[in-house]
Amino acid sequence: MSVVAFVRKQDNGEWSEKELSTLGAAFGATMARGAGRQWETGTTENGDAQLYLLGPLPEQACELCVSRIGGRYILEDGCGRLLFEHRNLDRVALHAKAAVPSTSWLMVRAITLWCAIRNTIHEKVEPLLVEGEELFVQFVPHIAALA
Amino acid sequence: MKHGKHQDVFADRPAAKAASDTKRLRKLAGDWLKQRRADVGLSQADLAARLGLKYYTFISQVENGFSRVPTEIMGAWARELGLEPAAFARHLLVYYEPEMHRLLFGAESK
Repeated sequence: MSVVAFVRKQDNGEWSEKELSTLGAAFGATMARGAGRQWETGTTENGDAQLYLLGPLPEQACELCVSRIGGRYILEDGCGRLLFEHRNLDRVALHAKAAVPSTSWLMVRAITLWCAIRNTIHEKVEPLLVEGEELFVQFVPHIAALA
Repeated sequence: MKHGKHQDVFADRPAAKAASDTKRLRKLAGDWLKQRRADVGLSQADLAARLGLKYYTFISQVENGFSRVPTEIMGAWARELGLEPAAFARHLLVYYEPEMHRLLFGAESK
């Protein structure tokens, strides 16, 4: 007779390595952007596990919180708004990844792109326009004479 | 409540110092809120239910010092703890916005 060992489902207390790895993967890119972003863990008074994604320095306020209550994962923002809940942590992590505030990052990208476009216009297009204008000025008398 | 820190990425020391103060004060606010809740014999789940929250996890988030009491539910939170909302808000300002508190109320009683 063989006994199949089932992994005991953790209902409260510590996060398992697998759970932390799933959430770490979801928040990894956000934390890599630096500025003091980090995540911390804690528990409720009932011993339910919580994980907090903290914002940038100096406030480092909670931006997202994932809690595990009775095998169910709860995703909230730093103001207590319920964003998503499910028994499957992968799905919750997906929503968490999408919910990470990224406005500043997008703004930086947009500004960089705009500067690059302006620089290209300034360096490449403007000389062509000036050249075209000079040619036009040169040919106008000839065209006028023909007309 | 048990906490664990998993990444420490302090880029510059002054910012790190400010962050450490902010976090410490938020934690003190959380401890004070926890004590006031205990005084009226409410659990985190009781308080969450009275504030109309589906889960009590946000109460824990605030009491663990990771978030602030949102302004829009500050009055209700105060009443559930049996406190006068203005005094409650003023006391929380000591932790959440100490400089603002000092400007508004000076060095008088916290």
